[in-house]
Amino acid sequence: MNNLKTANAFVFNPEFDVNYLNSLYGEDYVYLQEVLDTVMHDYQSLADNIDYQFSSGNLTALKSAVHKIKPVFGFVGLTRVQQLCQEFEQICSSVSTPDQLAGEFETLKNKISQSKQLIEEEKKKLELFNSQSS
Amino acid sequence: MILSCIIVEDLQVAVNYLKNCCEKSGQVEVRGHFSNVTDALSFLNSNTVDLIFLDVEMPGANGFELLDQIAFSPKVILTTAKSEYAYNAFQYNVSDYLMKPFTYQRFLEALAKIQPSRETISTNSATDHIYIKTDGKLIRLNNDSILFIESMGDYVKFVTIDGKKYITHNTIKNLEEKVSKQHFLKVHRSYIVNLHKIDDMRENLLFIKGNEIPVSKANKADVFRRLNIV
Repeated sequence: MNNLKTANAFVFNPEFDVNYLNSLYGEDYVYLQEVLDTVMHDYQSLADNIDYQFSSGNLTALKSAVHKIKPVFGFVGLTRVQQLCQEFEQICSSVSTPDQLAGEFETLKNKISQSKQLIEEEKKKLELFNSQSS
Repeated sequence: MILSCIIVEDLQVAVNYLKNCCEKSGQVEVRGHFSNVTDALSFLNSNTVDLIFLDVEMPGANGFELLDQIAFSPKVILTTAKSEYAYNAFQYNVSDYLMKPFTYQRFLEALAKIQPSRETISTNSATDHIYIKTDGKLIRLNNDSILFIESMGDYVKFVTIDGKKYITHNTIKNLEEKVSKQHFLKVHRSYIVNLHKIDDMRENLLFIKGNEIPVSKANKADVFRRLNIV
């Protein structure tokens, strides 16, 4: 986080909360690229754990798995997905079996899958942007 | 003053972000990071730190269980993605509560809550007492009630005339500057003694109410100068 200023601002996909990212990293796009790299490294195992816990029927573990991935979306600026995770956690507390939140789970699962693709695309764009800026 | 810390957190992106914040602040040295309570505990069994950045929900034991098991009382800043731990945080005397992800500014605010309390000794060398901060309160110790002060790594132990022991976060080096020069003298890198309480001295040892205090070669001449030898 060296607040490296670049000549041109990076243009984010509108799904990303640019103001939020600026509050975390300023215009340090090199550091942001590192963040995306780290996130992608762990992403699939975090997502797989959510699937696994839903299948196993353990609501507490499911809630915990969603809780664990939630801040990841904050770190990459996908604040709406972060909020969706928060809401899902709350729903977990209000039901007694995973079947009762099957619809919400499907929505969350799809969103997590789409988000992975979004982050990957943004990471590639950022790599290109940083290589041209250096 | 540089604070030593560890990070106990299993989310790698959060670990990296915290490390960056610490490095950027110039106020915190990261001694290690651990992704579970067991590993952190193993480190803390043989090391002390000023501060722990602590996640709550981790595989195995949770963060509060770590606090239950460590033998000293470092400052704690919770780093979590949940706001429901406020009550526990209060019970464990947690200094602050950072919701992940947090801004660098918010990180600095949390540090600001830690730094002032590092100044655990309030004294004027001309007065007859000092205040020490221990167990979350300020305790007045009259100079005459202190037998000696012993180093315990990043902490010091005040041993008093009534047999009590008070442990506080400080160093002998810092205290040497702060305690009354009329009463106290550093006799070893790990000891400051109350000169008025010395019973006798043999070779390189001082005896104070049954306690043996080593005197270092470097400090021995000072000790002789300050004792009223006739």
